[in-house]
Amino acid sequence: MDGTNQTTQKPKKMRNVNNTAYWMILPFVVVFLVFSVYPVLRTLQLSFTDYRGYGELNFTGITNYLRVFKDKYFWQALLHTINIWVPNIVLQLSLAFLLTIVFSDMKYKIKGLPFFRAVYYLPNIIAATSIAFLFKTLLDWRFGTINQILQKVGVTNPIDWMGTPTITPYVISVISAWMWFGNSFIMLMAGVQGIPTDYYEAAAIDGAGRWKRFFKITLPLLKPILLYVSITSFIGGLQMFDLPFLMCNGVKGDPYGSTQTMVMYMYKFGFDTRPKQVGYASAIAYVLFLLILIVSLIQFKVMNKKED
Amino acid sequence: MKLKKLTALLLAGLMALSLAACGDDNTDANTPATSGSNDTNVSTTPADDNTTTPADDTASDLSGKLVIWTLAADLEQFADRFKEMNPGVKTEVVVIAPADYPTKVEAALLGGAKEPDIIVGEPQMLESMYDAGFFEDLNQAPYNAQDYAGQIVDYVWEVGQDADGIQRAISYQITPAGFFYRRDIAKTVFGTDDPAEIGKLFADYDTILETGRTLKEKGYRIFASDAEISYFSGDSAWVIDEKLNLDQSRIDYMDMSVALYQEDLTAYAAQWAAPWYQAMKGPVPILTAETQWGTDDMPIWNGEDAFAEATEGMETTEVFAFGLPAWGVLTLRDNCGDTSGLWGACAGPAYGFGGGTFIGISSQSERKDLAWEFVKFCTLNEETADWWIEKSQGDTVSLVSALEKHANDGNETYGGQQLYAFWLEQAEGIDYSKVTMYDKAIGDAWGSAISAVKTGEKTKEQAISDFYDEVAATYPNLTIER
Repeated sequence: MDGTNQTTQKPKKMRNVNNTAYWMILPFVVVFLVFSVYPVLRTLQLSFTDYRGYGELNFTGITNYLRVFKDKYFWQALLHTINIWVPNIVLQLSLAFLLTIVFSDMKYKIKGLPFFRAVYYLPNIIAATSIAFLFKTLLDWRFGTINQILQKVGVTNPIDWMGTPTITPYVISVISAWMWFGNSFIMLMAGVQGIPTDYYEAAAIDGAGRWKRFFKITLPLLKPILLYVSITSFIGGLQMFDLPFLMCNGVKGDPYGSTQTMVMYMYKFGFDTRPKQVGYASAIAYVLFLLILIVSLIQFKVMNKKED
Repeated sequence: MKLKKLTALLLAGLMALSLAACGDDNTDANTPATSGSNDTNVSTTPADDNTTTPADDTASDLSGKLVIWTLAADLEQFADRFKEMNPGVKTEVVVIAPADYPTKVEAALLGGAKEPDIIVGEPQMLESMYDAGFFEDLNQAPYNAQDYAGQIVDYVWEVGQDADGIQRAISYQITPAGFFYRRDIAKTVFGTDDPAEIGKLFADYDTILETGRTLKEKGYRIFASDAEISYFSGDSAWVIDEKLNLDQSRIDYMDMSVALYQEDLTAYAAQWAAPWYQAMKGPVPILTAETQWGTDDMPIWNGEDAFAEATEGMETTEVFAFGLPAWGVLTLRDNCGDTSGLWGACAGPAYGFGGGTFIGISSQSERKDLAWEFVKFCTLNEETADWWIEKSQGDTVSLVSALEKHANDGNETYGGQQLYAFWLEQAEGIDYSKVTMYDKAIGDAWGSAISAVKTGEKTKEQAISDFYDEVAATYPNLTIER
């Protein structure tokens, strides 16, 4: 009898619960629609027009997209972005990995992990403007601390850190890596802590050394985290804007445009050039989006394949 | 447990410190404002807290509130004065950094905001602001601005007009460019300090180079930076009939800039950096093409001391001239120290101008009548012009009658030279039709080309070819003949 009673009452109750849930998610949905969906669709619409930031929307078909593909400065900006991002991610992940190895080692058992985790994360919570000013001052050609130290130890010609096309992009890479390695470290560390210690104990009993344990247990089990970190870093890297913008003379990306990233190039047309070319900037934004999507998919596939 | 607490406290302290550090660099007065939120400064002073109103007897019956968005802090003083004269009026002045100004106004007005009532613009921003319809048509009734046409210096009047010749904005100042030179050096090297004679030393680019070489031989430098001639670069429009115009004068300008740099004719100070200001006061260390970099960022903290320390023991020189618009009168006055009284002003190789704040009424304002009274008060009122000349101690107004009235005023910083007459003469030579909305982007690209040639990064041909490419990529609508 009880069972039948339950079956007749349950659907009614469930309906009520469901309705409440809809109301609960409504604020999120509204915010999501207004601040995420609308701008994305609006940008798509604008990318097919010659909109200048005001006035009428004149539909121009795929003109803007054709222009992006023919625009050598856009592709140069892509190269600059990759040129900055690659050393950055290599350095960032290497540092994070090194620290993960040190902190996850069962033999050393280093204390104070939460403290170090916070300290390594600190550069990430400092505003990019402050970091830009800090490093611009440190790296100043003549009066910067770094060149003064170099001169004290016998380097006669100070290095023009922010004015040499072959150096400046990599300066940005190193600063970005310094800002972000703490973040990667926390993720990798969380991954390591999620690996059951039984595996390590079993491996140790079987005679596996420290490196073997790392390569055979830690690394394979960290793959999903690694995938996540590298994809987010790549997406972030392609969207690089604040540091080069603040440190390298705005959208110009000095010296000689060597630090002009894709988002800076987009910003140039959306905000800096008079009259504004919002339509073109929107098309650049969409091409950037497509590029990120494609690379992310490839990255995802490659990592999954290896896992199989 | 104790250790944990200690760590937490330490971390909290560190974070607070790092946040404080963020705050600090935003309040540095020397830091050029580039970011958004911190640049906005709202000062609301209700009319009733006014002190004495000298013109109480002439007080009008104007009343209401005016919201003024400006990029020049001058307008705060104009607004205060306006309230003094019209006790029934309240004003709210918002000063926004020039780099952010167009975007903030656009965001507000495209969003349909009824405030601000007064909006302003600098010449290079105005064309797109006119196009967007932000400025009220001042030729229509009840304003009838065209009736005031002859009262303001011609080029300023024209800058205030849109492409159809409709008056949209008016400026209270003129900003023609000239060279400020050291009279004592002029007498020593050239035997005269007469502005007309010294002007001949700046007559064209070749002559400027010759002057620079002569000065270097005598141990001086012609300029502190090579940006001093930028106000006189080229004597034609960058774009004519949607066609890029790179004429011979631009190439000559490039050649001169390269020669100035490569022959060490300037003191290699970066404009607006500590050594540049120091050059106004007297001797500066001779930086060379090799050692110039790094001085750009000096204003970050304690510029002068750091500069003095770093350049101790270096050979020094004195700088002969600075090329600046009329507002440079004030910059120089405030920075020249002991050289006050030793300066003069003369004409450059071309008529140029730089900056200027143009005031207009937002087309969406609901208080247009009061706003028009304010615009007239700032720009067309001789009493205000007199007051501003007195108050700013030397800013150059645009009202012709005031300029004529003060034509014989001598300026002590400039050896008693009658500067208002001089600036009026310079302003009359300006041909505003040469200014286009493309100027900033094209000018920047040309500047990059010049700096690539002078530092040897590119050959002249390569730099010019890249310049064409860059303009073509930025403005595909322009015809480019290489």
